[in-house]
Amino acid sequence: MASTLLPHDGSAEKKVRIAATAFMGLAHIIYLRDHVKGFLFAFIETLFLLCSPLVLGKIRDLITLGEPQPDLPIKMRGNSMFMLIDGILMLAVVAVFVIIYVISVRSARAGYREYCRKKRFPQKGESLNATLGKAFPVVGIAPSFILILVFVVVPLLFSMSVAFTNYSAPDHIPPNKTVDWVGLDNFQALLGGEASWSTGFARVAAWTLIWAFSATVTCYFGGLIVAVLLKESNLKIAPVFRVIFILPYAVPAVVSMLVWRNLLNGTFGTVNRTLMALGLIENPIPWLGHPALAQFTCILVNLWAGFGYFMLLSMGTMTAVSQDIFEAAKIDGASRFQVLKSITLPLVMYQTMPLIIMSFTHNINNFGAIFFLTGGNPTVADSTTTSAGGTDILVTWIYKLTITLLKYNYASVIAVMIFMVLAPFAIFNFRRTRAFREGEL
Amino acid sequence: MKKRYQQNLVIKAVVTTIFCAISFVVLYPLVYVVSAAFSPGVGIASVNIIPFADGFTIEHFVKLFTESDYGKWFRNTLVIALSTSVITVFVASLGAYVFSRFRFVIKKPMLMSYLILQIFPSFVGMVAIYVILLRIKGLDTLWGLVLVYVAGNIPYNTWLVKNYMDTVSKSLDEAARIDGASHFRIYTTIILPVARPIITFLAIVSFTAPWMDYIFPKMVLRSVDKQTLALGLFSFVTDKKNEFTTFAAGSLLVAIPFIIFFIVTQRTMITSFGTSAVKE
Repeated sequence: MASTLLPHDGSAEKKVRIAATAFMGLAHIIYLRDHVKGFLFAFIETLFLLCSPLVLGKIRDLITLGEPQPDLPIKMRGNSMFMLIDGILMLAVVAVFVIIYVISVRSARAGYREYCRKKRFPQKGESLNATLGKAFPVVGIAPSFILILVFVVVPLLFSMSVAFTNYSAPDHIPPNKTVDWVGLDNFQALLGGEASWSTGFARVAAWTLIWAFSATVTCYFGGLIVAVLLKESNLKIAPVFRVIFILPYAVPAVVSMLVWRNLLNGTFGTVNRTLMALGLIENPIPWLGHPALAQFTCILVNLWAGFGYFMLLSMGTMTAVSQDIFEAAKIDGASRFQVLKSITLPLVMYQTMPLIIMSFTHNINNFGAIFFLTGGNPTVADSTTTSAGGTDILVTWIYKLTITLLKYNYASVIAVMIFMVLAPFAIFNFRRTRAFREGEL
Repeated sequence: MKKRYQQNLVIKAVVTTIFCAISFVVLYPLVYVVSAAFSPGVGIASVNIIPFADGFTIEHFVKLFTESDYGKWFRNTLVIALSTSVITVFVASLGAYVFSRFRFVIKKPMLMSYLILQIFPSFVGMVAIYVILLRIKGLDTLWGLVLVYVAGNIPYNTWLVKNYMDTVSKSLDEAARIDGASHFRIYTTIILPVARPIITFLAIVSFTAPWMDYIFPKMVLRSVDKQTLALGLFSFVTDKKNEFTTFAAGSLLVAIPFIIFFIVTQRTMITSFGTSAVKE
């Protein structure tokens, strides 16, 4: 038996590594006498090898995305999208397999070192117990890992891939027709290739940034001012006001935005009817009917819905600020305004800054606020081709491109671009989390 | 001294006026919805501009339950929200426990990728999710939607719970391990009870989120008897028809529990917002 001759001075490490690399679990079985683990690993590799023709076929399909088969009935034709998804899934499976492979080699090496240290093999029970103990983390993470892999990672890779294909209506919708890789054509089309698309894209992207910026700033300062006034005014009925101000935040966005949409309706909306009845205006104001005015209305309504959140936030930070600083300032003879200006506000702003950044990224993706209030309307010059209206932000445009126009390729390009804009913010927020700073990750 | 007092009084009056003005703007749409829910008529055009001036009726509430599928929508949404909440809590807390208490080879890269994944809004992969659900026969089913919700939020929630568990001392579970308790036992009898605050928070957040989501139900659920509240309410006020009063009645029934919950918990929220901001 080779295993009995294994030296404990560490000289056989290379032999163990070669066996472990040659076939998963081989080293465990012939050298380390760890049959439970060894056969488990060997079983995984055998399974993978048995499936490999299928895996390779799927990956080949991923590269070609299928050939046109006009002579076959539609039901029999290969579906490019299924090929794309399956191919990506298979790549994920291969990646998982490679990871398991690496783990098995490492485990063999660790097992040999353990043997060298103890000069004997672990007893049967010991090894089994250790394996069971190590199995718990695997079993514990498996559900979340699989769910994330299938419903988050694969879809993301899929969207990114679609950005480089011509998956769009009317000529490339499977299963009737096939989809092909087109390189950077879509990026080119949106960034200057096709006149109406690139103007539409530039317009929507600019409005998205303006929207996210103004929506965040108005809500933040609106909330901050109200919170400061509530605290500094010492009104007896301040709690009543606080409850009132928090109401919009408590109402689900779908409800409040749809209500505003109806109240602000140009022809029969309550706001216009009231203003006309009061004699303040002669003709109805097109709150949501004129592009620039509709954009302004969006920001106002969002302020209505969002200032309560920042009010809560500012109040929370203000109460958390240590009272000693205020006492010290009072002793030094600072006026209330001075305290507010040079102590309270800087502290609150410093501590809520990360949340402002989070809110900015949230607003870039604030589907509900735009979709339910205006639906992206009113229409503008390029709307007939691009379907993007005057108040559409990138996210609502993606929705329209996917659901109504079936221009999946352009929708994916936009999604990729949103990601490239948002990623730095996310990394920034990540870098300042405690786990990262303290290096315990 | 007297001058100072008068000045204060003026400031108070000004602030009160400002607050009253804001309150008016804040309350106006809300009061109007309540009044529309109890007003006769159908569209918003027919509702009096003065709240409660047209009389009082509960016909819209009756209509919701007799003529529309409101009960069904409510039940579907409740099923989705409850399952999402339960599964999320289980999967995320189990994962967080492993990440918090075990050392293993791919821990670092996994935690890192969870963090990067949580920045993607899940609608980015909409088309792919659609195709995947189509292939596992999850389209037009409630469980398909639940899977999407659970998966989309795991990266963030796992981090949330893990961060909390990291702050809990390890001495308790180490003692239990010495006594021979299995990992799963430690998880259910020691870790879960200790992590109750964050688990409760997670359960509530993942329970409330599906109530008003629109994109994913719209994509996944097709048949009439599988609609959710958000889809149903939206269908009352589309471009084609305007049944604002019925919409108002339906919205009221959903919004009231939310509002009560918020008012009850606002004090806790102020402090938790404060401490979380300070801590980070």
